[in-house]
Amino acid sequence: MNSLVIAAEAAAVAGGVTGNIGLAVAGAGAAIGIGMIGAKAVEAVGRNPGASGKVLTLSIIGMALAEAIAIYALIMTLIGK
Amino acid sequence: MAKVGCPQFPETMPLLNLAAALPTIDAPNFGQEYLGVGYLEWLTNSIFVSLLVSVAVILVARRATRQMMLVPGPTQNIFEALVEFLHDSVESIVGKHMVSRVFGFLVTLFIFILFSNWFALLPGVGSIGWGHQTPTGFSVDVPLLRPTTADLNMTLGMALVFMALWVYWTLSEVGLRGFLEHTFGPKGGLQGIVKLLLIPIFFFVGIIEIVSILFRPVALSLRLFGNIFAGENLLTTMIGIGKQVGLPGWAASIASVTLPIPFYFLELLVGLLQATVFTLLCAVYIQLSTSHDEDEEH
Repeated sequence: MNSLVIAAEAAAVAGGVTGNIGLAVAGAGAAIGIGMIGAKAVEAVGRNPGASGKVLTLSIIGMALAEAIAIYALIMTLIGK
Repeated sequence: MAKVGCPQFPETMPLLNLAAALPTIDAPNFGQEYLGVGYLEWLTNSIFVSLLVSVAVILVARRATRQMMLVPGPTQNIFEALVEFLHDSVESIVGKHMVSRVFGFLVTLFIFILFSNWFALLPGVGSIGWGHQTPTGFSVDVPLLRPTTADLNMTLGMALVFMALWVYWTLSEVGLRGFLEHTFGPKGGLQGIVKLLLIPIFFFVGIIEIVSILFRPVALSLRLFGNIFAGENLLTTMIGIGKQVGLPGWAASIASVTLPIPFYFLELLVGLLQATVFTLLCAVYIQLSTSHDEDEEH
């Protein structure tokens, strides 16, 4: 596992990438997830406008859970391995 | 003794002090290190702020509800609206039976986390403290006040207290046997030989569920800590970014006042959102393990 991490970082640096690869991938994943939740929420409200309160609550919870993974990666970056 | 002062551009803010051990990120002991008093060793700056927030909330709440009138005054109205909204939200998740037991703890958690998160936005929090003199001004190493939820100790403590209470509520609602059946038992109304064959599969599913239950306090604490701590760092970076990019003195000063404004509102929203998510997730966890009380209506 450690050699894999070292290999990935060496490949990133050789390709001219500065910054943290883990945080980049986690951030991309979180952004995609939150976007999908938002899209489905808007579609649900469009189909059933009366459910907008419940849909809002559920989508906020879902977005916070999806964003938490990116926050873990951010904490790992700030604190160091 | 280091002197207390305000930095002009706090570019060496707590980010560099993160190298310390993980739980005590930049939370100095006032008692031992700065006041020189041994018995106050537990008093770190985030504990001090948590005491301030608690005392402030309790005082405001007591004053607002001292004479409960039928037609409420303004502060009583605010508290009534807040408590009623939360009561409806929690009741819709947890169910009528459990809400009377868990509501007190959950609404306390919500109010405390909300005002702790918003405390970070007051002027002077994080920028006044002990530090050293650098050529470009005074640099704060150890703040006097910092938001208490930006300390992993506080959020971990809240998450662990919730887990202990969750265990107590679950066991007193459904009992140990009910909990084990709920976790490891075959579900879905299977009969006979198929049920016997699928028991090992459900057993492994139960093991995975136990692991995910054990992960809950980690996730709860890290989510809240990460959001508030990152927000604090974001605001600090935005204040100092004019100087870092290399703008002339007057432009850097203007940028350090105007650039943080949208991030300030973002932090307002994030503080409210994280308090809501913490509370609602706690309610959902309680509902997950105590809800099958209702479909055993024999």
